[in-house]
Amino acid sequence: MTSPLITRYVSGLHRRLPAALAEEAAAGLLETYEHHLAAGAGDHDAARAALAEFGDLATVVDEFTRQAPGRRAARLLLATGPVAGVCWAAALVIGRAWTWPVPATIRLGFGAALLLAVVGLAAAATSRHSYRRIRLAWIAGLIILALDATAVTAVLFAAPDRTWVLSLAAAVSLGRIAVTARTLPRLATR
Amino acid sequence: MRADAQALKGHLDTLLLASLEGGPRHGYAVKEALRSGSGARFDLPTGTIYPALRRLEAAGLVAGTWAEAGGRRRRIYELTPAGRRRLAGDRAAWRDFASAVTAILEPAP
Repeated sequence: MTSPLITRYVSGLHRRLPAALAEEAAAGLLETYEHHLAAGAGDHDAARAALAEFGDLATVVDEFTRQAPGRRAARLLLATGPVAGVCWAAALVIGRAWTWPVPATIRLGFGAALLLAVVGLAAAATSRHSYRRIRLAWIAGLIILALDATAVTAVLFAAPDRTWVLSLAAAVSLGRIAVTARTLPRLATR
Repeated sequence: MRADAQALKGHLDTLLLASLEGGPRHGYAVKEALRSGSGARFDLPTGTIYPALRRLEAAGLVAGTWAEAGGRRRRIYELTPAGRRRLAGDRAAWRDFASAVTAILEPAP
């Protein structure tokens, strides 16, 4: 039977990390524990030595959080956001977008979705202790993907006048779509 | 002297890649290889090895697969071709750096 100290630690891993990461770390902890048992330590001493060698739960969770692919992806999307934003803002001003026949509800919905995505990315990018918060990067990335795709589609089919700035903004969005589409499936499993 | 995680910052990736050069290993074995290979100077908390290996995997430098042994699933890591190239580059850079530092700290008489 495994020591209650180890069982409690493993429960903590499963509570705070995705299943695959928790399982891998738990296997490593059990291996460390068994190593000390095999070296002749008693159950309680082996558990305490294993936990000391493994690192406390907060440190291990923080390390997984700090190195999570979702955190880096959120930072990348946030970093490229201003570039895309400036391109689109310039294109829409030059194209006098306020005169386009787009219903106010769609404009508001687009703005609200963009705000939601930025908040989600910021929460994921700055997370230091919570792996769960990093999962927001996946949802926010999906929203960004949808917004970029909507913007590009609108330029292709609805823009009355395709200026070079508008084409540049669409190209930036296409680049982000490619990067996001490649990154999102990996985030879904980690 | 025992080096902590902070002292290893910037070198950990290379050391992890080097520990896999001899063949596939799971996280605990990687940690033990670092500890024994360094004469117990690099004795990192075992739990911090796993996130680092996952990051190297996401970067395409190592490949991880689940394997079952003794009724327990363990994730085994091995170097990818990109990982081998990175290790070779890091090793060459380290040799250059170390020889330059040695030349300054221990000048020939």
